[in-house]
Amino acid sequence: MSTAAAPRAGVPVIEVRGLRKTYPGVLAVDDASFSVAPGEVLGLVGKNGAGKSTVIKMLAGLVTPDEGEILVDGEPTVLASSHAASVLGISVVHQELALVPRGSVAENVFLGLPYPRRAGLFVDWSALHRKAGAVLARLGLEVDPRASVDGLSVAQQRMVMIARCLAWDARVVVLDEPTASLTDDEISHLLEVLRQLADAGVAIVYVSHRLEEVLGATDRVVVMRDGSVVADLVTATLTKQTLVAGITGEAKADESQTVHVDRAGRPPGAELLRVTGLTRAPALHGVDLTLREGEVLGLAGLVGAGRTELARVLFGVDAPDSGTITVRGKDVVLRSPRAAMKERIALLPEDRRHQGNDTARSIRENTSLPTLRRHRGVSWLPRPSAARERAVSEEMVGRLGIKARDTEVAVGTLSGGNQQKVVLAKWLVHGADVFVFDEPTAGIDVEGKADVYGIVGELADQGKAVLFISSDLPELAAVSDRVVVLREGRVVAELTGSQVSESQILHHCYGGADAASA
Amino acid sequence: MATGQTDAPAGGDPGLVGAGTAARPATGPKGAGGGVRPPGRGRPGWVQVVARGGVLVALLLVIVAFGIARPDTFLTTNNLNAILQQAAAPAILAIGLTVPLALGEFDLSIGAMVGLGGASALALITLHGVAWPVAVLLALGIGLLVGLVNGVFIAYLGASSFVQTLAMGVILLGVEYLFTNQQTLFSGVPQGYKDLGQSDAILGVNIQIWLALLVAVLMYLFLEQTETGRRIYAVGGNPDAARFAGVSVKRLRVLGFVIVAVAAVITGILITAQGGSSQPNAGVPFLLPAYAAAFLGSATFRPGTFNVPGTVVAVLFLGVIQTGLQMLQIATAWINIIQGVVLIAAMLISRLERKHA
Ligand SMILES: Nc1ncnc2c1ncn2[C@@H]1O[C@H](COP(=O)(O)OP(=O)(O)OP(=O)(O)O)[C@@H](O)[C@H]1O
Ligand SMILES: [Mg+2]
Repeated sequence: MSTAAAPRAGVPVIEVRGLRKTYPGVLAVDDASFSVAPGEVLGLVGKNGAGKSTVIKMLAGLVTPDEGEILVDGEPTVLASSHAASVLGISVVHQELALVPRGSVAENVFLGLPYPRRAGLFVDWSALHRKAGAVLARLGLEVDPRASVDGLSVAQQRMVMIARCLAWDARVVVLDEPTASLTDDEISHLLEVLRQLADAGVAIVYVSHRLEEVLGATDRVVVMRDGSVVADLVTATLTKQTLVAGITGEAKADESQTVHVDRAGRPPGAELLRVTGLTRAPALHGVDLTLREGEVLGLAGLVGAGRTELARVLFGVDAPDSGTITVRGKDVVLRSPRAAMKERIALLPEDRRHQGNDTARSIRENTSLPTLRRHRGVSWLPRPSAARERAVSEEMVGRLGIKARDTEVAVGTLSGGNQQKVVLAKWLVHGADVFVFDEPTAGIDVEGKADVYGIVGELADQGKAVLFISSDLPELAAVSDRVVVLREGRVVAELTGSQVSESQILHHCYGGADAASA
Repeated sequence: MATGQTDAPAGGDPGLVGAGTAARPATGPKGAGGGVRPPGRGRPGWVQVVARGGVLVALLLVIVAFGIARPDTFLTTNNLNAILQQAAAPAILAIGLTVPLALGEFDLSIGAMVGLGGASALALITLHGVAWPVAVLLALGIGLLVGLVNGVFIAYLGASSFVQTLAMGVILLGVEYLFTNQQTLFSGVPQGYKDLGQSDAILGVNIQIWLALLVAVLMYLFLEQTETGRRIYAVGGNPDAARFAGVSVKRLRVLGFVIVAVAAVITGILITAQGGSSQPNAGVPFLLPAYAAAFLGSATFRPGTFNVPGTVVAVLFLGVIQTGLQMLQIATAWINIIQGVVLIAAMLISRLERKHA
């Protein structure tokens, strides 16, 4: 049906004109106009809260514009529901994951599509799994189509969402930050697939805060700022610097365009955390590492290497099968996040949506949750003082540049990047000696990233230890004093000093064999 | 407003900054919350007001309506006192139920717990000669134990709360029969026990009303003003995020089951004290009204959130329609139907408001 409609030459498959959307007290999108032609890869960039996701939700039929129109094949069209959008061949991967929990990978890939049937009646599961397997293989994703999506990492779940887009055979594929927390390998796979789709005439809209990627993969870039499209330019004419300047609206973009961390550069102090022979099947096999005061230890590895699992074990979420965790020279058993927090360990989890916030509650209530006791109005009365909580969260909103009307708005109404900042705020308020940051900059804009690096540097200068997990290698190389590379649950390399470089990390992630191509 | 946007991109012009600043003059570098506007159109303020205060407004309306329809009987002190007294014991149960619901759990054994609570106290007094204060304490102890068992099985051993509490309800009914031999107990109930439900020593107002008020105030303070209350709501909102923030999710779940079980025992004691007797299987009819009140209450004051003031207003509302419709001599069948319709309507209004929020 959708694929049959042949694009008329020269007519953009999607065009939006003067889109506008307000929420109570918030102008989410002010004036957005742009178009995308068949076979074109369009980048959509802008700061956190610029309105990108809102525009995309309008294209997906999830949000109705207050003003403006959407033209599909040159015809003004009302997209009343996500089904309506799908039928017109618009397929969207949203920023917040939306898989059917407990469903299998194959079921999720083919969700909403007719399943292959036997005798026209019974679902032909083996055909379904085979078809799903083929789609996954196109993305280079090695997961069992029969596996439950609950067991997948965030990155793998995102890939499943993207696979769903491919399965739909869409004419327009819209991806809202598909690469947040994906590793280079998967990203390049994904970009390759997108290029193939574009060559086959599919129009692609691509949102990302990873600007190198945008510059490398798109034909044209639309920049949004404060809800409006402020520029629409051919990618070939852009440099990272001009793009950053366009996004931030400031001419001097030099500090934010390269990853740069200001550090006092003191040598690391006493040992804070030691992990010996840490094993938890199937993810971790005898991991050893140490973390000292004032040190940023980078943790590198491909998706599935065991980075997030290690973070979870260190925070008492999962129990190890064997091995010891030593904090300040004392062996500890971490039975719960609470126990880990008592040892002054904090975790910024990778899966913001499930583990980060209670999205129905305010910024204030989320920020103060781990530290409620500290916000008492009267010291002996276990009653949090809203005024004190507000003061603390307002300080964080300012420090992290969280874009929100005030601290009483529900976290769910914030843009993706701003939700991530609320999780960070929570742990900065709480404080710790060992900070485990799992993909802290996922979904955060250029300025926000610079802020995060600044904070990591500050923490280290205060004598805290930071375990920094990131799939963004330039960032990892710049932020870390030392890098440990995990592969299949084992430490395969430890890089120090001048060895801490993108190419070295990459080399070890792939087991050294691909070194030449890296 | 579409300045700075070029549909046919001009090659070689990297002047993003110029374009941007032309379109929207200098906003702050970050976090300035660009474009704060008055609330969006299309959602009249009254929808929000009606939704927030919905059940309260409805309560006042039905009081006025019944007052006009039956001026000489409905709006009398006696009648209002009777309505409040009738609502008191169910209110305590519904308030207790608000806690597990706020945690995202539910408990189907509370009806049977009401029955066992009252019956065990009365059986201990009348059949085993236990002093009534001791019997009351023992009954409360049974509630504590049942709540602990439910909570530990569900939170720590991973039982499904549906199966666990359904089965527990059946067990409790069996235990009640063991206590009472399925007899109605009424002889030898001491006045001290009866006074728990009948005394109006304080300002001439029935003691049950005072107790319900006390429970309501305490539970309100507990849920909305204490650290533990905040954690309870955090668990209900997103249990994983709460655990990752250091909240002892399992312990709070157990606490929730204990609170509702103890509340159920109190309800059972008040009912048997008021009637001076205990009928077999008297508790089960209390199950659904408690859920109805808690859900109706969650449509009020803090739409989408189970809350004590909402629950209390909802209990009163349901009680007032019940009594009022009875006074108008409307058939019980219709009373049931009207109550059900009202419940669904309230739910819809609160959904409406939530969607717009
Ligand atoms: N449902 C909502 N209710 C209230 N405000 C909202 C809602 N959805 C979005 N907003 C607001 O609209 C603005 C734009 O949000 P949007 O999610 O489109 O930003 P974004 O460009 O995708 O940002 P990010 O890069 O962080 O994902 C933000 O200020 C956000 O708080
Ligand atoms: Mg977004």
